[in-house]
Amino acid sequence: MTFDKITMDHGSGGKLTLELIENIFKANAGLDSAILGDIAFTTDSHSITPLFFRGGDIGKLSVSGTMNDLLCVGAKPMYLSSAFIMEEGFLISDLKKIVQSMLSEAKSANVEIVCGDTKVIESNKGFYVNTSAIGKIIRPIDGSKIKEGDKIIATGNIGEHGFAILNERENLQLTSHLASDCAELTGLILPIIESDLEIHWMRDPTRGGLAMCLNELCYKRDFGVEVFEELVPISQEVLSISEMLGIEPYYSANEGKMVIVVPPKDASKILDLLHKHPLGKNASLIGEITKDHPQKVLLNLSYGTKRLLSMPIVEKMPRIC
Amino acid sequence: MQWSKFKDKDLVLSLAHGIKQKAKKFDRLRIMHVCGTHENAIARYALRDLLPNNIKLLAGPGCPVCVTSSKDIDAIINYGIKNDCTILTFGDMLRVKGSAYSLLSASKLGLYVKMVYGLDEAIYYAKQAKKDAIFFSVGFETTAAPVASIIKSVNLPENLSFFSVHKYTPNGVLELLKAGKLNIDALILPGHASIVSGLAPYEKVASSFNLPCVAAGFEPVDVLGAILMIINQLEDNICKVENEYERLLNYEGNKLAQKALNDIFDITDSIWRGLGIIKNSGFEFKKTYNYLNAKLKFNIPFSDSYTEEQKGCRCAEVILGTIEPPQCPMYAKICNPHNPVGPCMVSDEGTCRNWWEVKGDI
Ligand code: SF4
Ligand code: SF4
Repeated sequence: MTFDKITMDHGSGGKLTLELIENIFKANAGLDSAILGDIAFTTDSHSITPLFFRGGDIGKLSVSGTMNDLLCVGAKPMYLSSAFIMEEGFLISDLKKIVQSMLSEAKSANVEIVCGDTKVIESNKGFYVNTSAIGKIIRPIDGSKIKEGDKIIATGNIGEHGFAILNERENLQLTSHLASDCAELTGLILPIIESDLEIHWMRDPTRGGLAMCLNELCYKRDFGVEVFEELVPISQEVLSISEMLGIEPYYSANEGKMVIVVPPKDASKILDLLHKHPLGKNASLIGEITKDHPQKVLLNLSYGTKRLLSMPIVEKMPRIC
Repeated sequence: MQWSKFKDKDLVLSLAHGIKQKAKKFDRLRIMHVCGTHENAIARYALRDLLPNNIKLLAGPGCPVCVTSSKDIDAIINYGIKNDCTILTFGDMLRVKGSAYSLLSASKLGLYVKMVYGLDEAIYYAKQAKKDAIFFSVGFETTAAPVASIIKSVNLPENLSFFSVHKYTPNGVLELLKAGKLNIDALILPGHASIVSGLAPYEKVASSFNLPCVAAGFEPVDVLGAILMIINQLEDNICKVENEYERLLNYEGNKLAQKALNDIFDITDSIWRGLGIIKNSGFEFKKTYNYLNAKLKFNIPFSDSYTEEQKGCRCAEVILGTIEPPQCPMYAKICNPHNPVGPCMVSDEGTCRNWWEVKGDI
């Protein structure tokens, strides 16, 4: 697809984001962090409206997202840098709150914030946080070992962040209980990385949701993915808001979940480990790797029918009526 | 994951089985639904795959975005650019092309558009904007009714007016049948829209055209249940209006919503994309509300020369159920959700879009 201008869809984490990375930045979209010998390095910028939401804020999000990216490649998060771009007039009290939640998130991941930067821009131009981090590779996980028959695990209920934000941002007032799942997953994932169980791939299904994450898993590869609708963990809250908006939970963002590809022999042991941690109590085996339909993600519906879980191209819109 | 009882697996499978058994008596049944949300449910749960081959489930003109005429889109774009006013509308509407531009692509010509989730938000923006704002008001009675009641109940900012392209489903269907444009054996009526209109307006459809009509909800059990009710009618040789969606829909419809619609709008002729002018199928502001009617307030000029469809796009046939999306040569090749050639690929309720998302480039 060719465009002469950046559109919002280029930032939605779907197919266009992927194309931007490949065609303009000429970078490899394959991994969330770079593996540099025995260290992993990653960076992420954050802009979100509203800045404070049920379940978190931009500070918590910026730290947790970066930690989770390091975990994806098999690294233990160690040090973090942060940079703020703030509009003139921004409340110091709000900034304090944001910094406070960054600190507590970093503390829970046992990570030190070692440097930072601030810039102030004209009023009404927004508030942005960049975080970069390095971690120590415990063992590199790069997707090269994925095999037919490998099992796919989701560490918890999907779709919560995206719907919680939409609900608050647009003031839809559809549900009062839904909160973002925003969380750093060191406590959940590090024990698995440090165990002797095999892990073939890991990715946090953020923008574009589970659907995008699974499509990336088989993007340009010689295998495809099968997922079983009945096995995908989804909360009642998310199901009902999804019905009301006409957007499926598979396409809604997550900020505290991981998708893990493991060989069949280790799947149940990894599930056991996940279930022990509060953030992994709903972990479930949701599907597997297949050679039958390379590069495609098929969803097996409970009625015995099948359909595609396509790679999102444009951001999903609530239906008009 | 735990689904509602209207998604219940055993129930769905037993309905599918019942349909298969009973359908054996018929050579071929063409059942049309006229609601984008139905198409979305059917595609999402791959319900067509549960039906026997002799039952064709067709998607009719059920998506408000798909039936919005390019003439209306052209008009609002031209007006907005010339007079530097803000156009407010739903996200899906932004990507549909007029004869040359969509609202979104017209922003490079200087059009200022803002996506909103509803009229409330449009009012909010208009209040903040200094210039004129026009709400491009799209949708069937389901969306027209809330627009009408908001207009009645709140103080609108003076700079806000409306460009109504609202459509009225029952009359749209009736006129298409009269014109012989629909080759079908039965109709699944739209649950949401019928909550407003009630079922009485469909009596004529059932009786004059011998069509079993069943209003249905949007879950798999609803859709299959409606198909079974239709087959039962055909078996007994009756054609009447039935209600599968009793949990939310009653025969009379929503009197308050009907009153709001009647207070604000007149029923007028309306252009449906690809289908031309359909008599008595649109909602236009009553004279007393001329001051809200952007078309009059600003004397928005309509050009006579306009192409209704993009070249080669076969949306009109898709909307009438005469072809399925993959039969359009552009489908998935040139036309996809990011580059929708025709409107049916734009909205989540559009037939081509629904096919593309769950079937891909087959
Ligand atoms: S207005 Fe309601 S009934 Fe009509 S297409 Fe939309 S969802 Fe269906
Ligand atoms: S595939 Fe595209 S061009 Fe073809 S009918 Fe559908 S929307 Fe129109």
